[in-house]
Formats: sequence, C-alpha cells, structure tokens
Amino acid sequence: MWGRGGERRAPRVASPSAGMGEFKVHRVRFFNYVPSGIRCVAYNNQSNRLAVSRTDGTVEIYNLSANYFQEKFFPGHESRATEALCWANGQRLFSAGLNGEIIEYDLQALNIKYAMDAFGGPIWSMAASPSGSQLLVGCEDGSVKLFQITPDKIQFERNFDRQKSRILSLSWHPAGTHIAAGSIDYISVFDVKSGSAIHKMLVDRQYMGVSKRKCIVWGVAFLSDGTVISADSAGKVQFWDSATGTLVKNHLIADADVQSIAVSDQEDSFVVGTAEGTVFHFQLVSVTSNSSEKQWVRTKPFQHHTHDVRAVAHSPIALISGGTDTHLVIRPLMEKVEVKNYDAALRKITFPHRRLVSCAKKKQLLLFQFAHHLELWRLGSTVATGKNGDTLPLSKNADHLLHLKTKGPENIICSCISPCGSWIAYSTASRFFLYRLNYEHDNINLQRVSKMPAFLRSALQILFSEDSAKLFVASNQGSLHVIRLLEGSFKHLHTFQPQSGTVESMCLLAVSPDGNWLAASGTSAGVHVYNVKQLKLHCTVPAYNFPVTALAIAPNTNNLVIAHSDQQVFEYSIPDKQYTQWSRTIQKQGFHHLWLQRDTPITHISFHPKRPMHILLHDAYMFCIIDKSLPLPNDKTLLYNPLPPTNESDIIRRRTAHAFKISKKYKPLLFMDLLDERTLVAVERPLDDIIAQLPPPIKKKKFGT
Amino acid sequence: MRLCIAQWGLGSCRGRQNPRRLPFTSRSACVLIPGQRSGAAWVMVQLRPRASRAPVSASAMVDEGQPASEEEAEHGLLLGQPSSGAAAEPLEEDEEGDDELDDEAPEELTFASAQAEAKEEERRVRETVRRDKTLLKEKRKRREELFIEQKKRKLLPDTILEKLTTASQTSVKKSLAKLKEVNLQKKNEECEKGSDSKKAKEKVQKVQTVGQNKSYLAVRLKDQDLRDSRQEAAKAFIQNCLYGPGTNRTTVNKFLSLDSKRLPVKKAAAQFLNNAWGSQKKQNAKRFRRRWMVRKMKTSKK
Repeated sequence: MWGRGGERRAPRVASPSAGMGEFKVHRVRFFNYVPSGIRCVAYNNQSNRLAVSRTDGTVEIYNLSANYFQEKFFPGHESRATEALCWANGQRLFSAGLNGEIIEYDLQALNIKYAMDAFGGPIWSMAASPSGSQLLVGCEDGSVKLFQITPDKIQFERNFDRQKSRILSLSWHPAGTHIAAGSIDYISVFDVKSGSAIHKMLVDRQYMGVSKRKCIVWGVAFLSDGTVISADSAGKVQFWDSATGTLVKNHLIADADVQSIAVSDQEDSFVVGTAEGTVFHFQLVSVTSNSSEKQWVRTKPFQHHTHDVRAVAHSPIALISGGTDTHLVIRPLMEKVEVKNYDAALRKITFPHRRLVSCAKKKQLLLFQFAHHLELWRLGSTVATGKNGDTLPLSKNADHLLHLKTKGPENIICSCISPCGSWIAYSTASRFFLYRLNYEHDNINLQRVSKMPAFLRSALQILFSEDSAKLFVASNQGSLHVIRLLEGSFKHLHTFQPQSGTVESMCLLAVSPDGNWLAASGTSAGVHVYNVKQLKLHCTVPAYNFPVTALAIAPNTNNLVIAHSDQQVFEYSIPDKQYTQWSRTIQKQGFHHLWLQRDTPITHISFHPKRPMHILLHDAYMFCIIDKSLPLPNDKTLLYNPLPPTNESDIIRRRTAHAFKISKKYKPLLFMDLLDERTLVAVERPLDDIIAQLPPPIKKKKFGT
Repeated sequence: MRLCIAQWGLGSCRGRQNPRRLPFTSRSACVLIPGQRSGAAWVMVQLRPRASRAPVSASAMVDEGQPASEEEAEHGLLLGQPSSGAAAEPLEEDEEGDDELDDEAPEELTFASAQAEAKEEERRVRETVRRDKTLLKEKRKRREELFIEQKKRKLLPDTILEKLTTASQTSVKKSLAKLKEVNLQKKNEECEKGSDSKKAKEKVQKVQTVGQNKSYLAVRLKDQDLRDSRQEAAKAFIQNCLYGPGTNRTTVNKFLSLDSKRLPVKKAAAQFLNNAWGSQKKQNAKRFRRRWMVRKMKTSKK
C-alpha cells in the first residue's frame, strides 16, 4: 500500500458511438515527488500577488487574481535557506536567509539581481518600512541592521543597539518611527531615529507557570495605536503597550508554538498560525453592539493543515497560510468578499502548476524531474487482455534505468527527453546540460556533451522537436535558441531575439509534429508563433489577460491549442492566422460553469495521431478528451457524465453525449499522455504518499486513543 | 659606632656552613652607614664567614694594599676608613675572652703565617668557585650543542628550507573560493561606504606552493569554517526548537492513524505494512526463483 506503488494497466472501453476507443492505461505511481515545505509567505497588495518561499530555497510567485496560478518561480539553492521574505516599494522582492545574505529578485529577467552579505551572521527576520525606502534585518548576533533601498541596490545605513540574543521577528510601526523586535524571552522596542532600545519587555516562559524551555517570540506585529502583538512558542498571543512597556492582554490559544502572525492593512483583524496546523483569526469587535470601545476577540479557527503553519499572510479579503505540510491554503473571508460566488471558496494548492514529467513515446520512457536529480524509467509491458475496468498483470516490470544527479547546489529548473529517447537536456540557474543516451541490450550508456555555448547558460524551458533533430531553448533573457543536434555534438542554428512586452509568466514552448512551427508564450504580448524553417516570426496570437498554462500544436491541422489559467481553452489555426471555427463557437457559447470552476490549471495537452477531432488535456484531478465533432454542453447539461452502463439504449447515450468526456478515475494526476493509439500513461501521486514523507507533526491527544 | 659584621649566604641561612660557597662577591650586603647619610645611602659591605672570623678580619684590616678583586678593595677601603679601629676591638676582645676560658697557653702564631694561611684559604676558595663556574659553563655549552643537533635532525634538509624561505619572500596571495572573493569585494565596498561596525574577517589567504611539482596547496580554511559553523549553529538551533527534546512531536503514521482508531469500525493504521522489511530476503528469493525457472526450462527441454 505504501511506498512505491507498482504499475498497473487497466483497459477502458468508451462508448462505441462516440468512437473513443479502447485504451490500455499505464498507471504509474513510482514518481516519488515530495514538494518542500513552505517557509515564508509575503503578500503584495498593489499587484495582488503572493510570494512564497520554500525550505529548499525556491521562491514562487502566485497571481491571486489569475485564479491563483503560479506564474513565476526562482529555483532554489542548497545553501540558500530563506528565513524571511518581503516586498518593498511595490515591485521589489527581497529575501534573507541563514547564509547571512540579502537577495533581491529580478521579476522581469527571472533571476537573482544580487546577493548582499549583511555581516551579522545568519539572518532570521526582515521587514520593509511602510514607506518602502528602508529595510530592516534581524541577525543571529543580536544586531538589527538598517538598510537604505536605493533604486538599483540596497545600502547599509546603520546598526541599532545590539541585543543579547538572536532577533527572530521584526515589525515596523505604520508611521515608521518605532520597531518591535522579538527575540528569545524578550521583546525590544526601538526608536528608529536614535537606534536605541526604549523598552525591553520580558515574556513569560509559560502561561501562568514556570518552564525550563526558553520562550521564543516567533512573530511580532506593531499596530498604529502603539500596541505590539506577539506570538511565542508557549502558545500565547500577547498584547503589549509599547509606550509603557507593559503587558495588556494575554491569550493562550494553543498547546504548541504559535509560529506566525499577520495583520491586515486596516488593522481590524489579524491571523496567527500554530504548530498544530490551526490558523486563528482575531478581530477587533466592539464590546457591545453600539459602544465605541473595541477589543480583540478570537473569532474563527481553521484547521486546514496537518503540520506546523510557519507562514501566514492577510490580504484584504483572504487569509493565506502555508507550512510544513506543503499546502498553500487561501481562505477568503466571507464578510470581506463582495461577490459571493465560487471565488469565495477555499483554495488549497498542493500540486505543481507545471509539468515535471516528460515522455519519450516511441521508447516508452518517462523522465521525472526532482530538485537535484533526474530519474529515467522504462514502462513495463503486459501481454494479457481484459475487459473494461480490469487490472492486467505485468509481464515485465517498470525499469529504473537512470538516476542522474546534478552537479552543484542549484536546483533543476526544467528538463526534457527527446521523443526518440536518445537525448536528455536539463538546466539549472547557471548551467545547461545535454546528454546523449545509447541503448544496447537493456543497458544504457550516458555521454555528456561538453562545451556548451556561452549563451546557453540558464534555460526556462527546453523542448525537442518531433524528429529529435532540433533543440529549442527558451533562455531567461527572453531569447529563443534553435540548436541542431548532430551525432554527439550540436550546432547553433538561430536565436530569436526577445520580443517587446514584459515577462508575465514562465515561458512555455510547443513545437508542431512536422517541425515547421514553434510557439512560445510568457510575455504580455501574447503567444508568438515562429516559422522554424524560415527562422522568422510568423504571427502572434492576441494577448489574453490570464497567463497561459499549457500549449500544444496539433499534427496535420497545425492548430495551436492554448489553455489559460481561468480554464479557457482557445484553438488558433497557425496557417490561417486566426481562431478556428470551433474555438469561436465555444467562446460564443461559453464553457460549462463547472468547467470554469475547476481549481487546478491544465498542465498538458496532447493529441491522437489518427483522430484529428480529439484533444486530450488533464489537470490534477481529472482528464478530459474533447471531441470537437460532438455538440457542446450548455450550463444545463451534466458536465461530468461517466459512461452509462452498456445495457442502456443507444438513444439515451446519444442524447447525453457531449464534447467533453471527463474521467476522474486517475487522480491526483501529475502527468497524462497518449503513448500510441491504444495506450495512455497516467502518472499519479496520491496525497498520502506525500504526507508519509513529511517531518513529524505535533502530537494530538484525542480521547479514547 | 659599631659596625656589626655578619655573614650569611645560602648555606648559612639554612644553618649550614658551606665553605665552598663563600665567594666574597656573593656574600655582600647593603648596609646603611649612619655617618655617611649625606652621601650614598647604601654601601656594599663585605660580610665574612663566622668560622674564620679572626684571621679574615685581620687580613681585611691589614690587607689594604693588595686586594684580590675590586670589591675587596672597596670593602677594605670602606672598612679601613671609618671603622677599622672599631672592628679590631671586639675581635681582640674575643681573643682575650678565649684565652680566659682556656687554661693552656696560647699558641704562638706569627702574624705572617696567619696571613699566609688566610691567603691560601682564600685562594683555594676562589679556585673552587672558578672551577665550579667553568664546569657549569661547559655543561651548559654541551647541552646547548646537543639541543641544536637534535633540532637539526628534526628539521627538513637544508635544500627545502632554502626554497621555503625564498618562497615566503615572494608569497602568492590568492583567494581560493569565489565566495571569499565576493566577500572581499563586498567588504571593500562596505568599508568604502564607511560602516564601522562590521566584523573584520580575515582578509587574505596566503597560498604557498612548495617545490616544482605543485601537487598540493596550503590554504587557510578558518574563515569558511567560521561562516559555516554559524550557519550550522543556526540550523541546529531551529531544529532543536521545533523538533528537539521538549517538543511534543509524534510520527506521521501515528498522526494519521488517530482517525482510524476512533472510527466505529476500527481500521488498521495508516502505515500498517512495512514494505522495507526483509528486502534482502525478498531479493534472494527472487534470484533463486529466476535460477530455478531457468534450470526447469533446461531440464524440460532435454
């Protein structure tokens, strides 16, 4: 049950009238994907974006208005363990970690602008001033350092009074005059102008008791009326008066640590996260219904996490939390949401929003991308046959052919295997690797192609052409490189220069099976289509305000199918340079409301070689075959209609049949593709398998156990 | 005014009289002579051994013209000037005292013979002292030579030492890791910006290459260790806070099985099966099975 599941095959028979056909499905569960835990979360009010940093150093940017899609990410680094993340001055993102460096990220070029050492030892906390011009950093040696944010860099200004123990949390007063710094067993209040500590407030080690364990103040927040709210490891949330340096109110909310705190901009509510996985919402409510006196009351508990909630953020309408259990949970608050529709539902982001699996169809190989290594597997085979729903035994097991470790501390950004299976390419933030594979009698021989050209430093997306003769690389400067692959070496053919338009999301590539057309997305200008034979830009699909989540070009017809994060699917004919008739029809009618309410984005689109009317796409919880010849469903028809039993009459089947054939049998799906006419491969990742590999959670005592 | 003359030394302090350790030079003391208060306050006064008090005092009194050493001359002069008369009296008194005690007739002792005896003794004493000194000196010399030889044996042969000294003069200053270079640049920038409160880390690493075949490099890793150790300490701190002793943690299996325990129909734990159990046994079994199949096929073919 646990551990690496084997591979099973199950044939599926679709209704003969629709002509879906019979497929053998490889159910793959040996992709041991475990995401890293979330460490920090920072919400940017101006652009409604969320920056999330994970324990392996990856920083992801989610666009909350584009259906919570992860548009950009910065790959992690082994030595970069981020402990603090903050937005400053609108569009600038800073992070600081245990290696003592402050890093600024370039959101346009999708790389790191610079890393500045703060010379205080490991950095534990960071906060940007409300005005956006200064940055405060709390270090291991107890010093609080003030940096000036200049237009292109940051500059050290001065040190505040040095404290005895490490500064674990920082908060600015909204006016920018005072600072609260939480440390071990005490909280200091500093005056910004003089840099001296005005008050030192001692925190009790235990609520009304004595304890040997030191009380660590994990989070502080400074309100504009001078109240300092602290969250500490004894499970208390305390309110302090910074003018007198005294404790005002004490709330014991948990048995375990309260690890994070975030206050809303209006300062009438804040949210805290505990180590038990509970998130509490505190609100400022009036004492009686018509009095003006208000007090802080703990209103709502939310239990959406199983492990420590190490980061919380408060947007104007939602509570955002993330922790060791790797989920990002966004909980819109009903009283703040204006339009009460499906948008106000809970969003839990668990699975990645991009493809981590590539497939070499002819050789039945799968390439899995991990943070520091790649795995190459060959699918098993069977000779048995069966009916719909049967599980067929494997005659030959799946084979782990290759475990390729990357050199260096950086994470892998993207990887790809050629359709013939003889080339593997992957890229980290600073290097590009290309390998040649030779198969001989069940043995595999790997050869690295050395001397990569200088322009091929870091790639955002890699794609091989259908005949495995060309390699397309989208670099992070915005340019697209076309490289011809020869036996054991390569030749640079052409570079498409970056087009105008800002980088909106990570670049996605698609190449037509006949090798003539290349599509690239990611900029605000729309999807560009290049002519590979003539090496020039052919056309640009008009820009749409939601980012592209998947891209593919159909064989023979050369229709470009684009899926966006708001679950819209467009079909654009490349030779005609216009949307197809089918696409216009469905745009006019609109998609089914259940289709639009899906949570997870479509990550892969593929086609049937013999049936040009079929489009196969999948997201994390379903896969769907769109049959363009069938009528489209309107809002009244049942979207998800699994196959009726065969003894029903044909008429009923024909009446309920519509273009969207959805199956939720295989979930959660990381990847689904058509290997050949009669075979599908579905890479699943059950959630329990991920949870089984997480760090230990806090013990919960339940009566009767 | 009486000048009390006393003799002490290492031997006499301990109550022993060690005639060999009686060089006059070491048996001197500083005494304040009241009559000469205006002048030099402290004067070196010769102190004599108790045993040979009588003859020595006589020689000191008389032997002014022939001092064996400069100090003796000083002493003789000093003693001669103020209190030669005073010194003589008590001694004579002592002699008289001895005579009164003894019934025998005193020995006839000429002055010259007594003087000669005293001189002889002095000479002997001096010579023994000199001998001792020379012996000690020689011993020390021998020891030093021995040490030098041993040291030489320990050190590398001369050729390499020469090379090292020439290399240190033209030492190559390199910084190995890129981090340190970047650190250095940043530090320089920071210094330029006028920040005082930075920790001055080690600026430069000396790299020495020895010999023609540069098969190894000597590098100071103290700085890298310092930074890494702080990072490790920080990581250990947070690990201890969150997962160390005193925290109430449990395994994932137990955590997920809590629900199945409370169901009306109790289910098994979430990770009930241990698939990693007996992996070696399973592998052996698989191999055996394959071999058995092959053998079976062979025999069936025959």
